[in-house]
Amino acid sequence: YLIAVFSVTMASAANTNMNAVRETMDVLLEISRLLNTGLDMESLSICVRLCEQGINPEALSAVIKELRKASETLKVSENCTN
Amino acid sequence: SSSITELLNALCDCSLSGVSWKRRALGGVSKEGFHRALKKRAYGALLSKLFQDGTKGSALRPSATARTPPRNKVLMMCFDLRVAGCREEAEALEDRLGRLREGASSGLREVDSVLELLVCLAGSTPSPPTSF
Repeated sequence: YLIAVFSVTMASAANTNMNAVRETMDVLLEISRLLNTGLDMESLSICVRLCEQGINPEALSAVIKELRKASETLKVSENCTN
Repeated sequence: SSSITELLNALCDCSLSGVSWKRRALGGVSKEGFHRALKKRAYGALLSKLFQDGTKGSALRPSATARTPPRNKVLMMCFDLRVAGCREEAEALEDRLGRLREGASSGLREVDSVLELLVCLAGSTPSPPTSF
């Protein structure tokens, strides 16, 4: 009986946490859009996980800007060949 | 629970979405080659920033802006938006910031770090055109 109660409590706690994460992610995405950061939900999720791994946010922003520069160069050259 | 390497790979993949690789392959640029080059640039940017931080800490005090909590930085941006006449945007931003839970109740361990990242990236892409 105790195991059943424990597993129900754990499942409910996990559910509550999942809801909190989802809600926080939604608010972060809205803030991101209002600030014109250019992050979509997929890249924001990756960034959140990198921050959770201890990556410095300033360093991560430098990485994102560098990746944008590189992919922009590729897209511009694609347009030129078209 | 992916590793940093896997997450950086995923970030490189995200930045390459929308590129036509069929046409690229004809021009001699392969997806794998470009992905490798991207990863090199990503690690270069990451490490150079981390090494800079290492020298800063030993020689200089962090600036006032660096010590400002990210929530306060967003509030400063709201103030700037109001001054620039963008009242609606400022109110929307204040509202979202008020809805953002703090600490463990947010479900994330590093919600302030994520907010700091958003502050660093603020305005890095053009704002969407307003519709009439």
